[in-house]
Formats: sequence, structure tokens, C-alpha cells
Amino acid sequence: MSLLEVNGLRAGYGPVNVLHELDLAVDDGEIVVVLGANGAGKTTTMRAISGVIPRSGNVTFAGRSIINSSADAVVRAGIAQVPQGRGTFPELNVEDNLRIGAYTRRDGGAATTADVERWFTTFPRLAERRDQRAGSLSGGEQQMLAIARAVMSRPKLLLCDEPSQGLAPIIVQEMFTIIESLSKEEGIAVLLVEQNANLAMEIAQRVYLLETGTIVASGDAETIAADDSIRKAYLGY
Amino acid sequence: MDRLFEALFLGLSAGATYGLVALALVVVYRGTGHLNFAQGEMGTLSAFMVWWFHDKGVPLLLAVLMGMVFGFLLGAVTEVTIIRPLARRSLLAVFVGTIALFLGINAYTTGVWGAPPDEVLDSLFPNDPDDFVRVFGTVWRYKDIGTLAVTLVITALLFVLFQKTRFGLAMRGVASNTDSARLVGIPTGRILAGSWAIAGALGALAAVLVAGNQGQVTPTLMVTVFTYATAAAVLGGLDSPGGAVIGGLLIGVGEALAAEFAPGWIGQDMKLGVALLAIFVVLLFKPSGLFGTAKVERV
Repeated sequence: MSLLEVNGLRAGYGPVNVLHELDLAVDDGEIVVVLGANGAGKTTTMRAISGVIPRSGNVTFAGRSIINSSADAVVRAGIAQVPQGRGTFPELNVEDNLRIGAYTRRDGGAATTADVERWFTTFPRLAERRDQRAGSLSGGEQQMLAIARAVMSRPKLLLCDEPSQGLAPIIVQEMFTIIESLSKEEGIAVLLVEQNANLAMEIAQRVYLLETGTIVASGDAETIAADDSIRKAYLGY
Repeated sequence: MDRLFEALFLGLSAGATYGLVALALVVVYRGTGHLNFAQGEMGTLSAFMVWWFHDKGVPLLLAVLMGMVFGFLLGAVTEVTIIRPLARRSLLAVFVGTIALFLGINAYTTGVWGAPPDEVLDSLFPNDPDDFVRVFGTVWRYKDIGTLAVTLVITALLFVLFQKTRFGLAMRGVASNTDSARLVGIPTGRILAGSWAIAGALGALAAVLVAGNQGQVTPTLMVTVFTYATAAAVLGGLDSPGGAVIGGLLIGVGEALAAEFAPGWIGQDMKLGVALLAIFVVLLFKPSGLFGTAKVERV
């Protein structure tokens, strides 16, 4: 049984259905990427799993159904999301951004403080700016902060919604390296949605292709990357 | 010179109550981005409850605490049953809703307690004719010192709540980015109801202080105070608690000085115009207020 199992997921906004019978799974410690063009339903998939939009179907996480769970219950179950466009708290300083990531944890202030220091050690650039408002950071620093904020909840699964968006190529490379090392060193499973197919497939073990709200192909990252017909049909290069 | 000191002090004391109501407005605004037009009336209703408890034999201090609990619950219930459903429609729906609430509560208090107005409420502080100290030759009455002190203590407590507690961090998070707040697992509904509840309790306390000042609770108790408080919140910056209190004190002092020194044609009746002029000038030249943060968004 996989860590995250999504079967027949439907979700959308008001009367408009964006996802139609979407199926996917993520195993423990695995990096899975969902590739798709603009409007394919990548962000909707993430928001449906996190429970911030109405959805139906089956979503089980660590053996328990979370389809009826509220957004805060999903976080407590062990799923953290780095939303599209960073999703930092611009008026809060860097340290408070990290602390708020631990909101659902019940192990006390000392444990939170220890984790804040730990991520400051991992990301010294954030440590230098710990008293600055998050809104004053560069795009890359904000993305780094959003990732660190998400792992503050000690998740088993990290959802990353287009971390490459709006970043310079060298910074994108850095973000993917961070995500890969989080997975390797912390054993956190990662579900990544991306338009940037090449880089994402380099760190992922498995790939899903999403088109108009449903999965149209899936497989090992190496197989998909090597398959010319899939590349031409769905990735457009 | 004595006249100046006395006007300054009385202005600060009156301004403290504006500051308290402005704080309540700011607590709600930071959470939901709404200006609660019924904030004053919710306080008035709570003050009537205090009078009612006290009238039934509850000691004044306890009655005030009970009134603040009433205001707390009133705020939470209002958010859940009225504001939240309206907020799903539009900002304008909430705006109209709070005005309707203002009119509704006002009609209710007028109907139940309006005539004859005999709801006498003592000041929380000693208020006999000789309860004052002389500072620089001017009279500082205990009730005015008390009002100022209560406001400063409440402001300090709120500062600790906002900056040092988990609930405060969650409130600031919801104010800064509601979507991300949900994604880090903050139950945003509970935080918003909590903000309205705190505002309700603050409004109750402010109304009790105002009522104690004038000796009785009346249906129009908070109408003028609310206008000054709105000016104070706009002046200080609608998202800045410290700014709200400083704004309240500035408006209070400005009002007192205008009444004391301005030419006769401004006088007592026109001093509300000072507040309205302040709102107008601030909105025109510095819409984020003296201490508020200008919203910056990356696109």
C-alpha cells in the first residue's frame, strides 16, 4: 500500500469540474512528478489533496481516508504543501514564517525552536534574514522559505506546486537540489507538479502526465524521459 | 498654560476610549479586512448588560467582567452567523450587513431601554468630587487617569497576545495570507471568530468606560465615540494595533484642543468635524495611515 493513494478524484471551482477521475499514488520516501501544461489541473490536484477546495473520490494517506478531512486535519495527518507562487506570509518576519509552519505540532515551543535553528543551519541565507519581513526577500529566498516552512510541520509527504515558477534557471536548479536532498536525507516523500519537465524528471523516480484533469500516461522517470512520442505529444519539445 | 495641560489631559483620557474601540476595529480588520460598523453598538448592548447585571445585585467589577464575556460571545456569534455567510458573497454584503447590525442593535436598545433613560452606571473608578490629584496645577480626576491606565494595560496585553502567543501568530498569519494559513493547518474559521470575540470584549470594556464617564448607559452611548474611533483607526493605520491607540489619543487631544482654543464657530458642536476632516486628509494623502503597512504584492 502506498503512502498516498488517490482514486477517482474529482474537484473544481463552483460548478466547473477541473479534475475528472484522477488516479495517482506516492510511495514512502519517493519523489513523484506530475507534468502538465497550463490549465491541465496541476494546482487543483494539489489543493484537492490538501482539502482547501471541495472534492470527491478517494484519497487515503498512510492507510486512512482523508477525503472528508478539513485542511488542518490533513496537515496534522502529515501532508505539507508549498503552494504556487511561494505562499509565504509577507508581513511576518522570516522566523515567524518558520514558526507558523509548526502550528499543528503539539510537541511544545522548545521543539519548534530547535527545528527553527536546524533549518537556519541548513539554509544560512534565511538565517541572515531572520528578522526581515518575508515580503522583502528575493523570489528564490521566498521559495526556500516556503519549503522550510512546509517541513517545519514534520510532514511525511511534501506537496510542491511549481517551485520553479518565476525563478532564474540557476535558482530553479538550487530548489530542485534542496527538494531532492530533503527527500533523501529526511525520508520525506515528495509530490511535485511542474511545467519544467527536464529538471523535474531528473530528480523524480516516477512521472505522471496530466492533461485536462486526468492522467494520460505514467511510468518511470527514465522511461518517460526517453520516450520520444510521449515527449512530443505531451511535453511539446 | 493650565488650560492647555487640562485640555491635553482630558483629551488623552477621552482619546483612550477612542483608542480602545479603534483597537477593536483593528483586531477585526486585520483578521477579515472588514470594518465593523456595528462595533460601537455591540459595545452599547454589552454596557446595557453590565447595567442589568449590576442592577440585579452583581458587584460592579464582576458585572463588567460578565459584560466583557457577553461582548466576547456576541462577537463570536456575530462572526459565525452573520459575517461568515455574507463574506462568501462579497465585501459589500459584509459592509451592508454590519450597517444593518448597527441599526438593528440601536433599534433594540432604544426600544427596550430608550425611554426614560434611567440606566445609571457608576464609574469603575472612585468618582466623588474630591477624587482627583493636582498635576501642574490642573485637576486630574481618578476616573480619567483610570481610563487612560486601563487602555495602556489592555494595549500591552494585546501586544503580548499578538506577538508572543501561538494564537497571535495564527491571527497574524491569517491576516497576512489566509490561503497559506489554511495550508499550514490553521483553523482559519476559529481564528476569525476569535478575533471578533476579542473585539467584542474590547468594545464592551470601552462602552463601560464611556458610560461610567457620563454616568449612565444610553442607546446612543457609542455613536460619537465610534466616529472618533474610526478616525483614530484610519489615522493610525487600520492594521496597526499600536497605531490605533496612538491615533485615538491624537484624535482625543485634537478634539479637546479644538473645543478649548478654536474660534467660536468650531466650538463644541462642530468638533466631530475634526474627526471627519482627519479621516478625509489621511485617506487622501496616506491611505495606509501613520503606522499601517502599505500592501505590497508581487505579481
